[in-house]
Amino acid sequence: MTKTQAVVIGGGATGAGILRDLAMRGVKAVLIERRDLANGTSSRFHGLLHSGGRYAVKDPESAAECVAENAVLRRIARQCVEDTEGLFVRLPEDDAAFETEWLAACRALGLPAAPLPPAEALRLEPGLTPRLAAAYRVPDAAIDGFRLCWQNVASAVRHGGELRTYTEVVAIERAGGRVAGVVVRDAVSGATSTIACDLVINAAGSWVGEVAALAGAAVDVEPDRGTLIAFNHRFAGRVVNRLRPPADGDIFVPHGSVVIFGTTSAAADNPDDTAPRGEEVNALLRLGEPLFPDLPRYRILRAFAGTRPLYTGGHGAAGRAASRTFAVLDHSREGVHGLISVVGGKLTTYRLMAEKTVDLACGKLGIAVPCRTAAEPLAAGPAPGLLAAARKYFPAGGAELAAARLGDAFGAVVGRLGDDPANAALICECERVTLGEIKEVAACATTHGLGDIRRRTRLGMGTCQGAYCGFRGVAAVCAAGLADKPAAGLLGDFLEERWAGVRPVLWGTQLREQELLRGIYGASLNIDGAMNDEQL
Amino acid sequence: MNNYDVIVVGAGLSGLIAAAAATAAGAKVMLAAKGAGTLTIGSGTIDLLGYDNAGRPVAAPAAALAALPADHPYGKLGLPAVQAAADFFLALCAAAGYPYCGTLAANRWLPTAAGTLKPACLVPATMDLAGTEDAAHVVVLAFAGLRDYRPEMVIEGLSRRPGFRGKHFSTAVVDAGFGPGRDATALDLARWLDSDAGRRECAEQLKKRLPPGCLVLLPPVLGTRPDYQAWRDLEAATGCRLVELAGIPPAVTGFRLRALFLAHLRRQGVAIHEQAPVTGAVVANGRCLAVVTGQPDRRREYRAGAFVIATGGFLGGGFESAPGAACESIFGLPLDVPADQLAWSEPRLLAARPQPFARFGLETDQDLRPIGADGRAALANVHFAGPNLAGYDYSCEKSGNGVALVSGYHAGTAAGEGRA
Repeated sequence: MTKTQAVVIGGGATGAGILRDLAMRGVKAVLIERRDLANGTSSRFHGLLHSGGRYAVKDPESAAECVAENAVLRRIARQCVEDTEGLFVRLPEDDAAFETEWLAACRALGLPAAPLPPAEALRLEPGLTPRLAAAYRVPDAAIDGFRLCWQNVASAVRHGGELRTYTEVVAIERAGGRVAGVVVRDAVSGATSTIACDLVINAAGSWVGEVAALAGAAVDVEPDRGTLIAFNHRFAGRVVNRLRPPADGDIFVPHGSVVIFGTTSAAADNPDDTAPRGEEVNALLRLGEPLFPDLPRYRILRAFAGTRPLYTGGHGAAGRAASRTFAVLDHSREGVHGLISVVGGKLTTYRLMAEKTVDLACGKLGIAVPCRTAAEPLAAGPAPGLLAAARKYFPAGGAELAAARLGDAFGAVVGRLGDDPANAALICECERVTLGEIKEVAACATTHGLGDIRRRTRLGMGTCQGAYCGFRGVAAVCAAGLADKPAAGLLGDFLEERWAGVRPVLWGTQLREQELLRGIYGASLNIDGAMNDEQL
Repeated sequence: MNNYDVIVVGAGLSGLIAAAAATAAGAKVMLAAKGAGTLTIGSGTIDLLGYDNAGRPVAAPAAALAALPADHPYGKLGLPAVQAAADFFLALCAAAGYPYCGTLAANRWLPTAAGTLKPACLVPATMDLAGTEDAAHVVVLAFAGLRDYRPEMVIEGLSRRPGFRGKHFSTAVVDAGFGPGRDATALDLARWLDSDAGRRECAEQLKKRLPPGCLVLLPPVLGTRPDYQAWRDLEAATGCRLVELAGIPPAVTGFRLRALFLAHLRRQGVAIHEQAPVTGAVVANGRCLAVVTGQPDRRREYRAGAFVIATGGFLGGGFESAPGAACESIFGLPLDVPADQLAWSEPRLLAARPQPFARFGLETDQDLRPIGADGRAALANVHFAGPNLAGYDYSCEKSGNGVALVSGYHAGTAAGEGRA
């Protein structure tokens, strides 16, 4: 049995932020996550760093949090944020009175919303409809939730925090009305063990209710499904919001080489209800077409869905009406001492949520160290000269991409490329992933398979969606002795992983792409036959 | 007035076969092609049927055709038509000096660059393992700079498969001298081995690195020309058997078959128009009068008595699709597809049964003419071939080039004989 002060449950942005905050205040803590980091809603959202504009009118409390945290994250999470800026645009059919109300709300929040003549907005974003009635610039940005989680954890580990992925909570032990420990199962080995602790911090997002129930406590959370669509090119260079009361299908976020568009809002059957549905995709396309008239002709890479952990405690509002602010719950009021849950909120406000949660935790532990997470950057950024050295090995722009993606591990990857020129081989052209990066990530203790490698490196996540780099990546993994199962099985898993997101958008050029992929991997290489043989 | 008896649209295997069959039937033929077709993606082997519709491997494909669903193209055409197409193909390849091995009676299991085995009936001699069973030592060759290929993956897979278990595996590297930092494809290496100097250099390197009597597995690089010259020279120089692996594109063995057909068609006087996408057709009274190529500013009409449309279904651009709808691209013929997008596909990509979207296609009569709502031929002189036909999943069944060959031959013959 191991012993620690606090066990944090849930490896999303909030849990990662809490681990970092605890570690920076000197609290001994372990973060446990049942799968890989950012497996839940922290990787199943727009990737939008809110300026606050979206909630300015209806949810000023959440909007004010966004305004403040937007500025903080630009400072501390530079390598996770792409400063695209954002536009709010109104179409002639949208209510002009809302524009007036919105402007007043932005002023009240101190949110800069600079008017932009529609002609200038069109010059900046030529894919937009020429029917624009009004446009404003706001400090929206794109944020990479996955990278944010990893860089928070990396920083936490430097401060003494501990991460255990693929570790599932099976029970929360209590003694005399207090939590005493967490029983966990290693999802890889199946072994069960107990972590004794003084505090359990429940940051399980949409699963927060299930985790609280393990300790006999309750949280009023309503998982709310949001479906999004990833397009295969960056048809907008800025975040584009429709200037109207928040509704479905009114935000476009550019991300690397793609654009993510959404969302929908519907009560989810359960927090794992993340399979996108055909009718949601079709509804989104109809809603988005007035802003980007060519939308139906763009190639869609995939659709995906996440569940928002909407907090309904007390006032009972649901869906779009529920506040996007958050709550930190002390379950001692229910007689469960030592259990804290954090619920609601936005990815944009994850750090503030962590700060408030850790304030409460430190109060209980009698620790008076102030929060420093808003002041200290997550990662130091590449050392002077390292980028210049890296440019010798990476193709155009690849060094900067890898530096942002890898955070503090960048130096080690550049070292591998220098040690052996073969490590500079480009495995994934879309995302410019080298063999050296794959080897570096494969060597991490938290890496259990090709799926982990792909999420960390973005191998196979670009516009070819693995059609070419799937073979190359698996072949490289085999050649480097990193394979944990037969190559045909690895290849099959690799291709299968994206399929659920492709099925609802399987038409047009994406259908052609999938037929090319089946031509290579099915007809020519018989991966399906080999996989099915191996299952016999 | 028609300039041609038959116009074939599409230069994949089904279009090339259709043009050859129409020519053999005595027709004056034009071939219009948008691009190089899927022979450049696949390996140019004739896969008649590798798996049945329950995902079970097929040992004797010709005999297994009878068990396929009745709406399968093979079911529509029948075994004699299948055999006639194969005979035509084998005779054509042999006459061109690039004979294929195999029969329709049995599947051969070919080694691939992924370390798997894939089933095919008729295969280039360079891909055939027959006669190599006794080799105790297998050398898997690598080529410097060839990125989409790793001998370790070949060995990892093959060493666990029947026929290879217990053999000794090793690797050797050939350097074509492209220099550091230069990525190579199989096509680059095949062009190197097209040259006398390249073959000599390769033979010198192999002689130093190969133990006598070993079996050599290598990516498909043995020349771009359909003549087996590079293969014969290197086997003679090394005294070893060389077998090419099925790989990922560009598929050199497919390029060879394409080159063979194009040369044959040119010799037969077929007019070949490349970079000529057919975008529409002129139709009157249930007959196609002409197909239309190019953009509005360079629109051209080509008239003929009969047409073969071998445009490759979804992959080739022969079909267009949108949410809940799909149609054939040239004539706008509607396809019967579900409105619910999730009903287009199986929950698994590599399911051991056909994907619904792969079975989408045109319903046709015995002569592969599209059937209209009244059950009669909607276009009396238009024949469809290959993935444009409904009722089969080429990838799951491993039947792509088989259906292309049989339907292309049949459509080309029907068009050439003027059965309409």
